[in-house]
Amino acid sequence: MAVIGNNGAGKSTLLNTIAGTLPVDAGELRLADHDVTHKPVAYRSRWLSRVFQDPKMGTAGELSVAENLTLAEHHTGSMSLRGFRHKGQTEAYRTLLRPLNMGLEDRLTTQVKYLSGGQRQALSLLMATLSHPELLLLDEHTAALDPQTSHQVMALTQKIVTENRLTTLMITHKMSDALTYGNRLVMVQDGQIKLDVRGEEKQRIQQEDLLGLFAD
Amino acid sequence: MLITSIGQGLLWAPLVIGVFLTFRILDIPDLTTEGSFPLGAAVTVSAMIHGQSAIVASLLGFLAGCLAGWVTGMLDTKLKMPSLLAGILTMTGLYSVNMHVMGKSNVPLLDQKVLTSYLPAAWSVDLQTIVVGLGVTLLVMAGLIWLFRTQLGLSLMATGNNAAMSAANGIYTDRMVILGYMVSNGCIALSGALIAQSNGFADIGMGIGTIVIGLASVLVGEIFLRGRQIWLRLTAMVLGAVIYRYLLTVAMGLGFPVDDLKILSASILVIVICLPLLRNKLQTKQQLKRYLKQIGVDQHATTSSLKRQAPTEGLLSRNGK
Repeated sequence: MAVIGNNGAGKSTLLNTIAGTLPVDAGELRLADHDVTHKPVAYRSRWLSRVFQDPKMGTAGELSVAENLTLAEHHTGSMSLRGFRHKGQTEAYRTLLRPLNMGLEDRLTTQVKYLSGGQRQALSLLMATLSHPELLLLDEHTAALDPQTSHQVMALTQKIVTENRLTTLMITHKMSDALTYGNRLVMVQDGQIKLDVRGEEKQRIQQEDLLGLFAD
Repeated sequence: MLITSIGQGLLWAPLVIGVFLTFRILDIPDLTTEGSFPLGAAVTVSAMIHGQSAIVASLLGFLAGCLAGWVTGMLDTKLKMPSLLAGILTMTGLYSVNMHVMGKSNVPLLDQKVLTSYLPAAWSVDLQTIVVGLGVTLLVMAGLIWLFRTQLGLSLMATGNNAAMSAANGIYTDRMVILGYMVSNGCIALSGALIAQSNGFADIGMGIGTIVIGLASVLVGEIFLRGRQIWLRLTAMVLGAVIYRYLLTVAMGLGFPVDDLKILSASILVIVICLPLLRNKLQTKQQLKRYLKQIGVDQHATTSSLKRQAPTEGLLSRNGK
């Protein structure tokens, strides 16, 4: 599901409310049949994952690639006193990282802050999907990348989402992305849903139609 | 003189490690130090006077420090106070607590057995201090190295580095911050317990300036030893504590009166913050000169303001998430 809208339309508010960084004024929020209306971010992370717009936000820069993956792997906020390094981990992580095609499989011990924006975002994406969440939130996750990397990350997103059959909510500014990806399109304006199309109807919609709606 | 500094430095090492935990791992400047250090001393000395053994009393000191850290942690996370204010509040409150624990502003140990009394009496005081300091410091280090190998430790590091990401990955960041405060202030109080036993008394004023001592030692340590592994970073802290003590001893040897120690501490901190700044400036200038020579431009051309960055930024805060 792709969400578009102009600045200030309420896209990010919607996303932040679902993620739990913004409190809910009214109504109820249910995730996988659990009422999470007033639950903290960490609690919700059992069912949802998020990729931030800023590549720096989705990973811990001081920690290594492997350590970041370990964090994502446990995901339930482990307070366990067991060691976080275990046998076979390196090989398992290499296998996970290889399909990203970013050379990350050879940089497991590199601190994430030394990676490029594209690499960090690809890693964030992998981390967010590692726990097979019920809902994946993508917050303009390619907006901070150059056009080529942006395209690469978008293709990667498509691949991971289809392979794992993840329910995904993507916020984007790029109309073309909103039209190309996903099977449902929602347009938000002034905090209201202005357009909600899915399936075949969505396939028929053209960029011009959206532009027309924006102008209103 | 050096030997004495090593012994004293080792007694201060748990404090430096404690400051390192909040300042570097959690990225929080925690002023609770100024209260938890004398708290550790007060609780330990009182417990010893009430007949507890030095070991039990020191442990009680450590636990009291953890409690102080818990209070600051709760103020910071649950009441959403800025961490500086939370630390100041706890520190101020602890003054009264310490007075109540001690009953008066200075409590001497009489003939109670301190930690060093468990060692052979034939050893010199310096040797005894070094053995006790080293033992306790190694114990603290071993505990922390173990902690940072666990998933809990990883969560703790992640929280300090990027709280938003940690929460998104299911880490209850508030709990982690509170835990960090607790362990940190426990170590600081333990250091207070050791110093009180070494001095033979607990004093209400002994916490003044400890945060400056802690920060300066952290920075001094990092000048000499840099690395990413936790054992290396902790070793750097111990080294920092010892070198800092030595610097102070040297300054005292130059004839500075005891009352001037605090301003010396503050000056040392200013110097260690400025050193990398000056070095960077010098390097930038040299690089620029070389570059200008290469492209054949007049050496007195103006420096582009774009090239200048604040070198202290990397020192005081970890730049980049």
